[in-house]
Amino acid sequence: MPLLKVEGLSKSFGGLQAVSGVSFQVAEGEILGLIGPNGSGKTTVLNLITGFLQPNAGAIWFCDENVVNLPRHQICRRGIARTFQLTKPFLNITALENVLVGRMYGRQPAPSRKAAEEESLALLERVGLGDKAHSLVKDLSLMQRKKVELARALAAKPKLLLLDEIMAGLNPAEVDDAMHLIREIRSWNITLIVVEHIVKAILGLCDRVVVLNMGEKIAEGAPQEIVHDPHVIEVYLGKVYA
Amino acid sequence: MSRRDIAFIISTLIAAAALAVVPTITTKESVINLLVLVYIYVMMASSWNIIGGIAGQVNLGHAAFFGLGSLVSRILWTKGWPLSISLILGALVPVAFALLIGAPSFKLRGVYFAIGTLAMAQILFITTRNLFPMISSLPTEALSTYSLAPRYYMALGMTLLTVLVVFWLSRSRWGLGMVAVREETSAAESLGVSALQHKLLALCLSALFAGLAGGVFAYYSAGYYLFFPFFPTWTFDAVMATYIGGTGTVIGPIIGAVFYVLVKEILALRFVELHPFIFGTLFILVVLFLPGGMIQIWSRLRRLLVRKSTLAPSAAKEEQVPETNMVHDRPAVE
Ligand SMILES: Nc1ncnc2c1ncn2[C@@H]1O[C@H](COP(=O)(O)OP(=O)(O)OP(=O)(O)O)[C@@H](O)[C@H]1O
Ligand SMILES: [Mg+2]
Repeated sequence: MPLLKVEGLSKSFGGLQAVSGVSFQVAEGEILGLIGPNGSGKTTVLNLITGFLQPNAGAIWFCDENVVNLPRHQICRRGIARTFQLTKPFLNITALENVLVGRMYGRQPAPSRKAAEEESLALLERVGLGDKAHSLVKDLSLMQRKKVELARALAAKPKLLLLDEIMAGLNPAEVDDAMHLIREIRSWNITLIVVEHIVKAILGLCDRVVVLNMGEKIAEGAPQEIVHDPHVIEVYLGKVYA
Repeated sequence: MSRRDIAFIISTLIAAAALAVVPTITTKESVINLLVLVYIYVMMASSWNIIGGIAGQVNLGHAAFFGLGSLVSRILWTKGWPLSISLILGALVPVAFALLIGAPSFKLRGVYFAIGTLAMAQILFITTRNLFPMISSLPTEALSTYSLAPRYYMALGMTLLTVLVVFWLSRSRWGLGMVAVREETSAAESLGVSALQHKLLALCLSALFAGLAGGVFAYYSAGYYLFFPFFPTWTFDAVMATYIGGTGTVIGPIIGAVFYVLVKEILALRFVELHPFIFGTLFILVVLFLPGGMIQIWSRLRRLLVRKSTLAPSAAKEEQVPETNMVHDRPAVE
């Protein structure tokens, strides 16, 4: 049984077909890459899975339950957490309090505030923000805010974590750190869908890759097959890889 | 509980105890009356702060909760119901009313809540002015035995209750969820927070304590027009006191309310009708230049002092500004 099964998912905005008839599955323990050119519908797929958008057609099965039409907070409590490509931090509270929200709500809320604070601090330290725990998030840089969002999503104890371009803007050394962290997250029994434009990260991390173009799935397979797929090279990798 | 939390509770209790002594050392009615007004304003600002400051939903109809609370309490009590039951019902009816406006308007996102609360408060104001145009006076025998002291203690006790509940809320999981909803609703939801539930709880608590303030007003006043507590001024006074003191914090609305009532009384004596303009200007200045309110002055000062001490060569270890949890004494917006 796959952890997540997306069937015939479609979403249009007015006349624009942002996602059309997309189907794929994610097995437990997998890291799935979701790639494609700008505007190909990657973020829209994540928004559909997390209830930020309602599909025009299709079904989303998570642990054998159709989560379409479930409210967002219920989807999170079932075990799906995410980060945002355009960050959405809680600006006027501290980094620690941001993470605390995830830890005190989410799938498995901490039994006490004290436990929640300790675990949240540990998560912040793991993403490299331990020294900023008591800073207001509005005083942090964009990269630091992204780390807060990652720690916050992890604090919700998801079974499935959706990461939307958390590596954009990182230098190569930082990309290596991020890849290391994502592998570690997988070792915590968290399944991942990773949206990235960085080919090295996709190749180094993903077990399988789904390629979108203009809202349609054009390829799916192991990363090594995908980067040699002529169609994928033509519409996407040609620009960034070839 | 942190040391700071304990310090807050202890200093609040000491302040309440000190204020409880006032009627025994002065017989001046003007002092007692002024303090009762301060207490009512503290209750109004602190209760508005729950929905407006902590949960971040602009409520422009707070007067409706205050008005309903006073109307229900006053009518029941003057009809001979026990005071306690009159006050409890006076607090619960506004909660029911809050659910009636809140549930539909929170489902529609955006400005519907602000517009909805404003419209409902205006409708209630006009309706009560038409239905109850008369002055409500206490029966003659009640007037002859009227004494300020029990009213004073009632107002003080209810204010203490309000402040302690807001303090508890600010430290609770529910309070954290409300702040998350205020800061970024959709992100809060993506972490498992039900925005609707948190907004509704904030609104109900807000209405409860505004209704209780209305009950205090009803018990305190010898005679008044029944529609008077529905005047929109009650809303705007509560909003302004909250912003001037520091929205989203526990202490801010208290400081703001004390400051507001004192200055308003002084201005009213000297300039009669000019004080709305003066407060309006002050309000705009605060929103523009000191969005954290008066308590932001304190946190800015503290930050400056700490910076100085870390710059000083003698300060070997780096000292951090001690941060508190969310809504204690740090401005929500800066
Ligand atoms: N809320 C919305 N309203 C209208 N159009 C939208 C909305 N969200 C996305 N779109 C459009 O849908 C298409 C797919 O957008 P989406 O953000 O999913 O792309 P993406 O693959 O994430 O791109 P990028 O790599 O730039 O992040 C784009 O044409 C975009 O303009
Ligand atoms: Mg995107």
